[in-house]
Amino acid sequence: MRKAIAVPALLLSVLLTGCGQLPYPREMEDMALLRTMGVDGGGDALTVTVSTGPRARGLQGDREPALILSAQGGSLSAAALTLQSLSDSYVFFGYVDQLLLGEDLARDGVSPVLDYFARDVELGLGARIWVVRGTARGAVESGGDQGVDSRLTTLCTDGEMGVSAISRRMGEVYANLLEQGSSYVPALTVMEGEGAALVDGGYAVLKGDRLAGFLEGEEARGLELLAGKPSAHVLEETVGGEPVTVRVSGGSAACRLTDEGGLSLTCRVTARLTEHSRPLTGEELEELEQQVRLREEARVRGTLDRLRGWEADCLGLGAKGALTAPGVWSRVREDWSRTFARREPEVTVRVELHP
Amino acid sequence: MSRAPRIDLPHPRQEPRIPMPLSLENLERVFADCDDFNKRQVYLHGDPSRQVTVCYIGGMARTERLNDYVMRPLAQDPMLASVPESRVFELLEKGALYAQSATRATELDEAALAIIDGSCALFFPGRSDALLIPVATEEKRSVGEPENEPALKGARDSFVESVRTNTSLVRRRLRAPELKVKEHTVGRQSLTPVDVVYLAGIADPDTVARLEQKLDEIDIDGVEAAGNLEEYLVEAARTPFPLMVYTQRPDRFCQGLLEGRVGLIADGIPLGWLVPGTVDQFFKTGQDRAYHWMTASALSLIRYLCALVTLLLPGLYIALVTFHPEAIPVKLALSIVSAKQEVPFSTIFEVLIMLLAFEVVQEAGLRLPSPIGATVSILGGLVVGNAAVDAHIVSPAVLIAVAIAGVAGYTMPSQDLGSALRLWRFLLAILASLGGLFGLTMGCAALIYHLAGLETFGVPYLAPFTTGTRVRRGHPSLIRPPLPWMKWRDGAVRTENRRNQR
Repeated sequence: MRKAIAVPALLLSVLLTGCGQLPYPREMEDMALLRTMGVDGGGDALTVTVSTGPRARGLQGDREPALILSAQGGSLSAAALTLQSLSDSYVFFGYVDQLLLGEDLARDGVSPVLDYFARDVELGLGARIWVVRGTARGAVESGGDQGVDSRLTTLCTDGEMGVSAISRRMGEVYANLLEQGSSYVPALTVMEGEGAALVDGGYAVLKGDRLAGFLEGEEARGLELLAGKPSAHVLEETVGGEPVTVRVSGGSAACRLTDEGGLSLTCRVTARLTEHSRPLTGEELEELEQQVRLREEARVRGTLDRLRGWEADCLGLGAKGALTAPGVWSRVREDWSRTFARREPEVTVRVELHP
Repeated sequence: MSRAPRIDLPHPRQEPRIPMPLSLENLERVFADCDDFNKRQVYLHGDPSRQVTVCYIGGMARTERLNDYVMRPLAQDPMLASVPESRVFELLEKGALYAQSATRATELDEAALAIIDGSCALFFPGRSDALLIPVATEEKRSVGEPENEPALKGARDSFVESVRTNTSLVRRRLRAPELKVKEHTVGRQSLTPVDVVYLAGIADPDTVARLEQKLDEIDIDGVEAAGNLEEYLVEAARTPFPLMVYTQRPDRFCQGLLEGRVGLIADGIPLGWLVPGTVDQFFKTGQDRAYHWMTASALSLIRYLCALVTLLLPGLYIALVTFHPEAIPVKLALSIVSAKQEVPFSTIFEVLIMLLAFEVVQEAGLRLPSPIGATVSILGGLVVGNAAVDAHIVSPAVLIAVAIAGVAGYTMPSQDLGSALRLWRFLLAILASLGGLFGLTMGCAALIYHLAGLETFGVPYLAPFTTGTRVRRGHPSLIRPPLPWMKWRDGAVRTENRRNQR
């Protein structure tokens, strides 16, 4: 008797879960598994370009060229729907883990794209994100038959190993934009030529949800040091009239809020002496350490100056410093962007040089 | 005009079985048309005025014993001819015959059944009783190795078809007089002796009483298969999962008795059962206590893992590939897609057909004699496997998933549990075909609900993993702790002696 009541009650409660409609089966071989999506804006329409990456067929894995599709629409949904009609296979977005945003779209605002990814059942905010200096379509098509996904995967891996720019996921960027009003995204440049290739292009800084500008070269290195993830780079200095090469292998940054609401930053850099013609004396090592310190300090200051110019604390330095002075933070939080731009931070760089 | 008996009437049981007084004539009537029934008149010490009729069944009585221990004393003992006629019966009963026992029977039932068991019956003219002398033959298979539960590090004897041999194998290991053996007869036509074996003071008396009561309530024609007992003693009809542990190994049987379980041994079936059979018992092997505890624990965990793999893998494959491809790592997805390109069937059909083919090959291999069976298995494996993949009938990923599920199932120490998992594997695969991970999850929930509802001799089937008995379990079931740490018995729900070591 008890079971007779329990089973129908259980079945009814299953309907309450919202699972009234069972998922629809679809065979994987009938799907085009998209890996990369590029979105361009500028004007009234959005252009969505997608790529599958190299495909294989049969037991021997015979190679087939990557499928690249491009469609325009007034919205991302419309463009995505148009993409379905362009392919023989079902276009499956569940594997999109690389998102390229065109420069024009970034200037117009990235929120619609981030929102779409957050809400779509197949997509998600786990994808890696880049801003392309140019068009995302050009970047996606630069991969040719091989697709662009392997190149982007390499950039991600290099970023994780500290060899190239820091890679970022959409979720991180979206959270930064919502919490601190600005964020940074690695940027890419398409090397034009016969074998077009994507190369590291610094960082795009987003303010609100729009592109504030790019950090390149020394400024990009400075941002990496402030983020605590410096990419491996080499400094060429002269000590005692002879050239010496130093490889920066690690670093970290700590910040705190001063009582006046300013920032006090302490960066630690770990470097290794890699090339030198003779053993350096203690004095020469100190001199070299000083040179490295000045170089790194100049980078950090350059980066901070640019960010202050844009009123974009994209690294969340204020929020990090708040941990040391929550009272001060509650006072300056409302107007932090302007405070950040107005007060020049105190910067201290310490170098640990391993001969 | 006689009415045809209604088929829904209760099975009639007649007591006494043969409603006639005991006499030689009536015994002959009972064994009419039985060519193996023999009788012989013997003159006591050659005196024609004193004769006795010896009745026995050829093949059940051992000729040498009958001749040497019964016929010879009857024919040659001069005392039998000299004592008063009224004392002859008493003399024979008290020791004139060289037999371990001599029983006076007054009922025809008793005499007929004793003759069937291999005794001979002595009838004296003018008396309404008979003397029963056991001269049974002991032809039986010798004790061999347990084929289904091979021992790498342990005893190599196994139960045989003779219940008395089996009880002797147990008693040789458990020499305590507290080892009790209670015999019940099951089967109206087979009259099979079934022994309840337990250690008094350790086994749960309630379980013993419950088992004996259930045995007495069994009213069937014969016990010719294990199911004749299992399906009547536990609620086997509502579940494919085994509720009684069986073993061929006397050492494992004795371990069960020491744990406080109650044993059951039936004549004609070379197995011993142990109740209550909770789910953890079907994951244990006789070798668990022979190996180092770390090895045994690791193997135990692997068996539990394999149970999950064999149960869930085909359904999980269908759910992921067909409904939730985004959950598959990219490189694996691309590999599956490339291998599946030229296969004409849907994934669901592929998996279900392969599962079915796997069962067919296995069944064919089992039913045929060993040499042919092995050939069929190899051919079937090759055809179903390699050729089917080469011909693009199935994709290699499906073949691998089904093969892993199948092989994982073979790690189950209990074939009954393995079979139950195979049935549920089909069900879960079908549910996954209907609703993806949602269907699979609902199927798993149904399985847990089903298992949680099972009970064996008053003990919840999932008792090792629940608190259903409200009695603290002896030791963890997923692993095998070091033996010095296993100080508490695990089997009985209520026992007066829960501690098993200092």
